[in-house]
Amino acid sequence: MASDTRALPLSESFRDITREVGRVPLHFPARVPWLIAMILSLALLSLFLASITYLFARGVGIWGLNIPVNWAFAIHLYVWWLGLGHAGTLISAMLLLMGQDWRNSLNRFAEAMTLCAVICAGMEPILHLGRPWFLYWMFPYPATMGVWPQFRSPLEWDIWAVLTYLTVSLIFWYIGAVPDFATLRDRARQRGWQLFFGIMSLGWRGSARHWLVWQKSYRTVAIIAVPLVVSVHSEVSLLFASGQIPGWHSTIFPPYFVLGAAFSGFAMVAMIAIVMRHVFQLKHLVTDRHLDVLAKVLLASGLMTAYGYLFEVFDACYSGNVHEIATVHDRFFGPYSWSFWGAVVCNFVPLQALWLRSVRRNRMLLFLISTSVVVGMWLERYMILVTSLYKDFLPSSFGMYHASFWDWSTYIGMIGLFMTPFLLFVRFIPSISIFEDKEVLEREKEAARG
Amino acid sequence: MAEPLLGYLAEFGTAEKLVEAARSAREAGYRRLDAFTPFPVEGLADLLRFRDNRIGWLSIVGGLTGFLGMLAVQLFVNFDYRIEVGGRPIFAYPAFFVVDFEIMVLLAVLFPVIGMLVINGLPRLHHPLFGTPRFGLASDDRFFLYVDSRDPKFDKDHTRTFLGSLGAWLVEPVRP
Repeated sequence: MASDTRALPLSESFRDITREVGRVPLHFPARVPWLIAMILSLALLSLFLASITYLFARGVGIWGLNIPVNWAFAIHLYVWWLGLGHAGTLISAMLLLMGQDWRNSLNRFAEAMTLCAVICAGMEPILHLGRPWFLYWMFPYPATMGVWPQFRSPLEWDIWAVLTYLTVSLIFWYIGAVPDFATLRDRARQRGWQLFFGIMSLGWRGSARHWLVWQKSYRTVAIIAVPLVVSVHSEVSLLFASGQIPGWHSTIFPPYFVLGAAFSGFAMVAMIAIVMRHVFQLKHLVTDRHLDVLAKVLLASGLMTAYGYLFEVFDACYSGNVHEIATVHDRFFGPYSWSFWGAVVCNFVPLQALWLRSVRRNRMLLFLISTSVVVGMWLERYMILVTSLYKDFLPSSFGMYHASFWDWSTYIGMIGLFMTPFLLFVRFIPSISIFEDKEVLEREKEAARG
Repeated sequence: MAEPLLGYLAEFGTAEKLVEAARSAREAGYRRLDAFTPFPVEGLADLLRFRDNRIGWLSIVGGLTGFLGMLAVQLFVNFDYRIEVGGRPIFAYPAFFVVDFEIMVLLAVLFPVIGMLVINGLPRLHHPLFGTPRFGLASDDRFFLYVDSRDPKFDKDHTRTFLGSLGAWLVEPVRP
C-alpha cells in the first residue's frame, strides 16, 4: 500500500534526481529523435508562415468563413488551444495548493505546454481581426482622432484575458524554474551553459531567506492563478453568450467550458508525459503512479464534461424555446451531426476504459485514449460554433460552412508554432522540477523513517 | 596576510543534521546565521528567525491598484468618447468587470514577484559565496550553515571548532 501512494521510488537520492533531469539539457540524450521532431515542426511552422503571409495579403476571405458562419476555425481553435493550456496551470497551481506531491514531476513541462498553447491561442483572434496590423487599436492609447477602444466588446475581453494569462503563466513558470536554473548552473562544465544558466538563475543561492520569500510569492501566484484559469475560460464562454445565436446561452457554459478545457489539457499532458518519459528515460521521475493519477483525473474531468453535454440538451428542452430546440435537433441530426457524434464518441467512449487499473497503467492505451480526447474536444469546439451559427432565426440567413484549404493549412501549420518552442524548451531547460522532486523525496523518506 | 574572512560555511549531509546544527548554533548565541539548501527545508526559516509578511500585502496592494486603476481607465474611456448603442448604459459594469478582473490578477501577481526579487536582492551576477569551492553542492544534495563574521559571537578559531563539533563534514572560510 505504502509503495502505491509514493510518487517517487525511495531508492532515488537527491543526486540521482539532479543527474537524471540535468543530463537532458546538459548532455542531451535523444539527439536524433529531437532533430527529426524539430525538422518536422519547422516544416509545419513554415507552412504556418506561408499561410498567414497569404492571409495578410488577401484577407480572411481565403478562409471558408462568411456570413452567417463568420467565426469558424479561428475562434474554434482559439477556444481549443486555450483549453489545452489550462491543464498546465491547474496542475501547477491547484495541485500545489492541495499538497498533491505527484504534481511535482509534471508541472514544469505542463506549464511549458501551457505557454506554447497560449501563444497559439492568442494568434487566432489576431489573425481573425482581418487587419491584424491594427492590433494596437485594442489598447487605450491617446489617438489623434480622440477615439478609444470599446471595453464593452468581447474582443477587448479576449485580448486582456489572453495577455494576462500569458504573462502570469510565464512568470509562474519562470520563478518556479529559477532554483533549477541555479542547479544546472552549478552542474554545467561548459562556459556557454554556465553563462546561460547563470543569467537565467538570477544569482539564486538557495538561502533560507530566499526560500522563505520565494515560497510565499510562489504560493501567492498559485492562489491567484487558479481563479485566473477559471476566469479566462469563463470569459471565452461569455463571448458566446454575448451573441444572440441560439445554443450559446445555457448557464452551464462557463463551468462546462472550463472543465472541457481541463479535460483536453490533461489529455495533452498525459500524451507529452508518456512521450518524454520514453524518449528521455525518465521512468524514475514520471512513474506509473503519475500516469495512473493523470488517467484518473482525465476520467473525472471527462465525466464532468459529459454532464455538461447532458445539461446543455436538458437546458434547451427545458427552455421550451423553439430555436434552442431546433439547434439541439440540428446538432443531433443536421448536416454537422458528425461533429456532435464525433465529439461524443471520441470524448467519452474510449475514456470508459480508464475505469480499469490495467488500462490506466498501460502507456500505449493511455496515449491513444488521450489522443482521442484531444480530437474529441476539437470536434466539440467546432460543433458548438458552427452548428449554432449556420442556422439562426431566419431561413434567409441560413448558410453552410466548409473549411477551405487555407483554414486547414493555417491550423496544421500552427501545430508547428506549438511544437517548435516546446522542443526548444525540452532541449535547453530542465523539463522536470528538480528541487520540488527533492522536496517530495525528502518527505517520503521522512515518512518511511516514521 | 590572508584576505579578510566573511564567514564560515559548514557542510552537512542531510536536512535534519542542518536543522539540528542551526538549532545548536542559535542556542550557543549565534545570531547572524544563514542556511543554503537545495530545496526549502520546513521549519528552517522559523529557526533562524526569518520572517517576512510583505509578499501577501504586496499582492493585495497590486490587486487593488489593478482593479481600481483599470476601472478608472474604462470609465474614462467610455465617458470621454460616448458610444450610445441602443440605449445601453455607458457604465456597463458587467462588461467592464471582465477586463477589470484580468488586470487585477495581473498586478496581484506582478507586485509580489517583483517584490520577491527586490527583497531577495536578485538578480545578482556574483556573490562571494560562489567563490567557495563546495558551495555549488548547495543546489544538489548538500546542506550548508553559514555563520557571518559580523556575528558578535564570531571568533576565527572558536567558531570553526564549534561548527566541526556540530557534525559538519567540512568547514570552509568564505572570502570576498
